[in-house]
Amino acid sequence: MKAFELVEPATIDDAIALLDAGDPGVRAVAGGSALVPMMKARLFQPTRLVSLRRIGGALRGIHAGDGGLRIGALATLTELEHSTRVRDAAPVMSRALRTLSNVRIRNVATLGGHLAHGDPHMDLPPILLTLGARVRVAGRGGERWIDINDLFLGYYQTAVAAGELITEVHVSAQPHDARTWYEKFTALSADDWPTVGAAVWYRTAGDRIGEARVAVSAATERPVRIAAAEQILTGAAPSAETFGAAADAAAAAVDPLADIRGSAAYKREMVRVHVRRALEKAR
Amino acid sequence: MGSLDFARGREVGRSLGRLEAAAKVDGTVEYIHNLRLPGMLHGRIHRSSIPHGRIVRIDTSAALAVAGVHAVVTADDVARLVPDPYYGPAFHDQPILATGKVRHVGEPVAVVLADNPHAAEEAADLVAVEYEPLEAVFDEVAAAAPDAPVLHDELRPAGMFTDLKHLAGRRDTNVALDARLRSGDVEQAFAEAEHVFEHTFRTGKVMHAAFEPMVTVAEPHAAGGLTIHTASQSPSFVRSEISRLLGWPENRVRVRTAFLGGGFGAKLYIKLEAMAAVCALLARRPVRIALSMDEQFYTITKHGATVRIKTGVARDGRMTARQVETFWNGGAYADIGPRVTQKSGFSAAGPYDIEHVALDNYAVYTNEPPAGALRGFGISQLVWAYERQADVIARTLGIDPLEFRRRNALRNGRPHATGTVVVGMEVDAVLDRLAEAMAWDKPFDRGTGTIRRGRGIGIGVKACVSPTTSTAAVHIYGDGSCAVHCSTVDMGQGSDTTMAQIAAEVLGIPTTDVRVVHPDTDVTPYDMATLGSRSTFHMGNAVRRAAEDARAQIERMAPGATSFRDAMLARFAMQAGTVVGFGSYAPSYQKPDPETGLSANITPFWMLGGAGAEVEVDTETGRITVTKLVNVADVGRAINPASVERQLTGAAIMQLGFTLFEEMVFSDGQVLNASLADYKIPGFLDVPRELTGTFVEAPHPEGPFGAKGVGETGIFSPSPAIANALYDATGVMLYDMPLTPERVLRAIREAGGRPLEQA
Amino acid sequence: MTHQRTLSFTLNGRPVTATARTHETILEVLQRDFGLFGARESCGQGLCGCCTLLVNGTAVSGCLYLAAFADGAELVTVEGLARGGTQHPIQCAFVEKSGFQCGFCTPGMILMTKELLGRHPRPTDEQIRHYLSGNLCRCATYPDIIESVRRAAELV
Ligand SMILES: Cc1cc2nc3c(=O)[nH]c(=O)nc-3n(C[C@H](O)[C@H](O)[C@H](O)COP(=O)(O)OP(=O)(O)OC[C@H]3O[C@@H](n4cnc5c(N)ncnc54)[C@H](O)[C@@H]3O)c2cc1C
Ligand code: FES
Ligand code: FES
Repeated sequence: MKAFELVEPATIDDAIALLDAGDPGVRAVAGGSALVPMMKARLFQPTRLVSLRRIGGALRGIHAGDGGLRIGALATLTELEHSTRVRDAAPVMSRALRTLSNVRIRNVATLGGHLAHGDPHMDLPPILLTLGARVRVAGRGGERWIDINDLFLGYYQTAVAAGELITEVHVSAQPHDARTWYEKFTALSADDWPTVGAAVWYRTAGDRIGEARVAVSAATERPVRIAAAEQILTGAAPSAETFGAAADAAAAAVDPLADIRGSAAYKREMVRVHVRRALEKAR
Repeated sequence: MGSLDFARGREVGRSLGRLEAAAKVDGTVEYIHNLRLPGMLHGRIHRSSIPHGRIVRIDTSAALAVAGVHAVVTADDVARLVPDPYYGPAFHDQPILATGKVRHVGEPVAVVLADNPHAAEEAADLVAVEYEPLEAVFDEVAAAAPDAPVLHDELRPAGMFTDLKHLAGRRDTNVALDARLRSGDVEQAFAEAEHVFEHTFRTGKVMHAAFEPMVTVAEPHAAGGLTIHTASQSPSFVRSEISRLLGWPENRVRVRTAFLGGGFGAKLYIKLEAMAAVCALLARRPVRIALSMDEQFYTITKHGATVRIKTGVARDGRMTARQVETFWNGGAYADIGPRVTQKSGFSAAGPYDIEHVALDNYAVYTNEPPAGALRGFGISQLVWAYERQADVIARTLGIDPLEFRRRNALRNGRPHATGTVVVGMEVDAVLDRLAEAMAWDKPFDRGTGTIRRGRGIGIGVKACVSPTTSTAAVHIYGDGSCAVHCSTVDMGQGSDTTMAQIAAEVLGIPTTDVRVVHPDTDVTPYDMATLGSRSTFHMGNAVRRAAEDARAQIERMAPGATSFRDAMLARFAMQAGTVVGFGSYAPSYQKPDPETGLSANITPFWMLGGAGAEVEVDTETGRITVTKLVNVADVGRAINPASVERQLTGAAIMQLGFTLFEEMVFSDGQVLNASLADYKIPGFLDVPRELTGTFVEAPHPEGPFGAKGVGETGIFSPSPAIANALYDATGVMLYDMPLTPERVLRAIREAGGRPLEQA
Repeated sequence: MTHQRTLSFTLNGRPVTATARTHETILEVLQRDFGLFGARESCGQGLCGCCTLLVNGTAVSGCLYLAAFADGAELVTVEGLARGGTQHPIQCAFVEKSGFQCGFCTPGMILMTKELLGRHPRPTDEQIRHYLSGNLCRCATYPDIIESVRRAAELV
């Protein structure tokens, strides 16, 4: 790695002031678990890193309330994994966290970094897309909320602007009858980044599906909701046929990227299989 | 008792813990990785970005401008010190730094020397090289064709090892070696055979990924010598080759190693040593060159291979003829590829009694990183072919796979395809143990729905490389304590403990009282190298002889003494003196006939490994879960049974990785997954629920206490066992390794008439 | 100077100071300034765990941990586990069950076992695999490592 300036402001405002340099070499660093590997591989050479670790209070903690979960951007993935509040409000998140990277990484990685990085292979974004979430962002011009559906713009691209910080993530309160599931498919070793991630969420009204959400990640250039699959599910009976049709629609809708874990055709097929399996397993 | 108690049987055959256990668990164990010397510079390699091309210009000015940079070394600087900078165990084909031309992506072109590794890294990126690209060739079959672009203008055999002396100087070809074997008349036999089976199998390139990445520290001496501290499996070879390059006598070059954090064949011959030595001599300071894991992908790999195999079978299921043509993808430099080609090549008839055999093996240069030895030395590529085909034959003829192998087994007393009469190879015992471990005669649930289950077996054989020499010394000091001096490198296989057990057995003392001195060419005598599962047999014999020599000297010196201490006191009258026992071992050998490949004595011992696998196949994703994996080895005699089992289960898991998902993915010679982030290796979650390493013992007449080597045996057969289980589960035939989910799913869908679209 | 830091932290129970450049990892400081090599770099990308150390009681990958972040923290490396020349029970268990071959991954396995036993003193096999799944062993000594962890749970 190359020399760079490291600053460790104590407040969000100071951090924002230090970030706003109009220089792509200036970035925030939280756990560093995504950034440092890139620096070591010389894919990113910072001129200045703004460490968030000395910022206390507002950026930490996991709170549960009527409105859902409020999670500070600096909450680590380990804190989320072991949090009873998360387990009660969104068990699908707790389960996914267990297979998300490894203990050492989860011990330092933060939710804010996880979302801000915009890596399409991350496990939580598709889940949050189905649960419903908002991301609170602070910048020079003040604060704003970004709906999770508007956060992921492209390959390693998010709606968080260069001078902005994610301060908090708000996961919507879940209705009691919501069924959720996340399928993580790894094609090579069992412990790996997902080749395909498929998250689903639905509620039933009587013997029909009332509302449904389906999201796919890893195979695609960004985590995406699949409207075509959701439409098929909405109003249909939660049957094998419905799930199969929704899975077919998801496979048809995605535009998979080929890489060493699979060709586009294979990933499309894996989207089909895993969306269907997620729907079958949702509880 | 009135004399030294030399009773046998207390140390050999026991599952003793490692001598170095405490240091390994408290983190203080010595690896060369840890070595820092005062005034040391850090070397960082600038590597070729193209697969084949002429070097037009190298601009080092930007690199030199980085603070902390001491020098940038290129081929021109090397030439000042080493006019003929080419090295290699088989051919002198590999330059210390690219000279005039680059032949693979990642080839070292320059080395930056700096005060600290970060400056060296930054500067290495700033070395600017202008190339004139040349046409490149990557496929081993294409590269062997007459119209392929040629990598090396001339091939100069190294002439170092006895078994490679026949390599002739060649021109205008990428075929470094063609090794043939002719026994009987295959054409005639095919014409007469009831069935003839013909297939082509392929294996991709994989990498050792030893966890201690390659590292060498070269330290020049003011008096004009050089010490090379290196994580090497072959210190004796390093000394010879560095002296040859420098034109120095061997006694001016000292090579030492410590424990290795894994080797698996990657750390053999010359890797970083020549580069580090030259840099250190030029800079007149110690130089450390330490690779990152990622750089190892461009340094040495296992051979990819294309194996065309044709087998004739009689009505009764006996194989009568076999013809195998194998193209070994050796990459840009031969390294030890020619030996892989020849020594493994001649084993392609397998552990079978086949009368008519014709084998052709081609070591082929391509514009990929060099390929060398990787645990098993080419054997697993061949076993993959002949054991996959065995199941096809058995299934086609309606013979149980186990029975088919029994019917064709090569038994002791019968000639192998090379003409060597087989001794000490227990095919029946291994198959019996396999049958038992797999409960082969019990019904087996093949699953329903989308999860299908299957089971399969495989068995493979290797002839230990020959002829090679090991020498050892056993020292008894004035207080009666004992040290073994040998150049076998403990890279995790536990050779220190094994050698100590052998010495202790002979000397009648506890193993824990024996100290094993690590390879240091100033101190420990010659050994060919730690490779090919040869150490227990060869060095074990040398250590045994050295210990016997020491014991005999003591007995002569102080007859009736009751301990070594007493014996030494009796002789020297105070705590003084050293008794040195010396032992050396080199098996007998007969060079194969260059035309027919026949030899009456091709190897000192045969290594035989069988494997059985049970798998679950997810027919919707193509993912294979190996639920049970059994390795059975014929080990002669286990010096340390727990160590043997650990080598067998370790090899099984490593080969499971090679079978299911490990593969270097190339695009135009560039490795697309040169990091453990994308080149996945097996972890805890990949370990089969049931995993056993077990062995049969039939003491080998010439092995130390009957022992044979075992480090590689567990590698031979898991791949075909797993693929045969897949075949059993789904009826799907795969010819290429690894069996990635995508390949499996495509084959399943193809067979079901619903092929997955291409791309 | 913002490119260089003086760090104060506790290392294996002792308060220490060191100077590090911002782009150095904690591994480099441990090796260069303290001669500690138990945490060692292999994959360099957070995958293998050879570089594991405990920071404020939890395991991290030293290869990705910027040295500057150690300021004010409590660091424990495998060298700090023994007490007065006596091995930690986890180390004893790894010796007893031979949970290693080349040993390069071993300190990481031991420290991860410490984290596991801190949370689950009587771990199930499932929990053992869950915690250790991010530590790799190229010698594939996995079965013996699991045995070692089971034994460690008895000894601790
Ligand atoms: C070996 C390994 C395996 C992994 N496997 C998986 C896996 O299987 N599944 C998975 O989902 N993930 C995986 N990950 C990724 C892991 O989830 C991310 O590295 C982690 O979540 C990033 O968090 P961080 O706090 O360390 O981010 P950092 O590295 O600190 O930052 C990442 C990016 O986010 C920016 N950033 C950080 N915090 C903020 C903020 N508050 N506001 C705005 N921008 C911010 C940074 O500037 C940077 O661009 C793996 C990582 C590693 C190293
Ligand atoms: S070296 Fe840090 S995790 Fe592999
Ligand atoms: S013991 Fe060698 S890597 Fe684990």
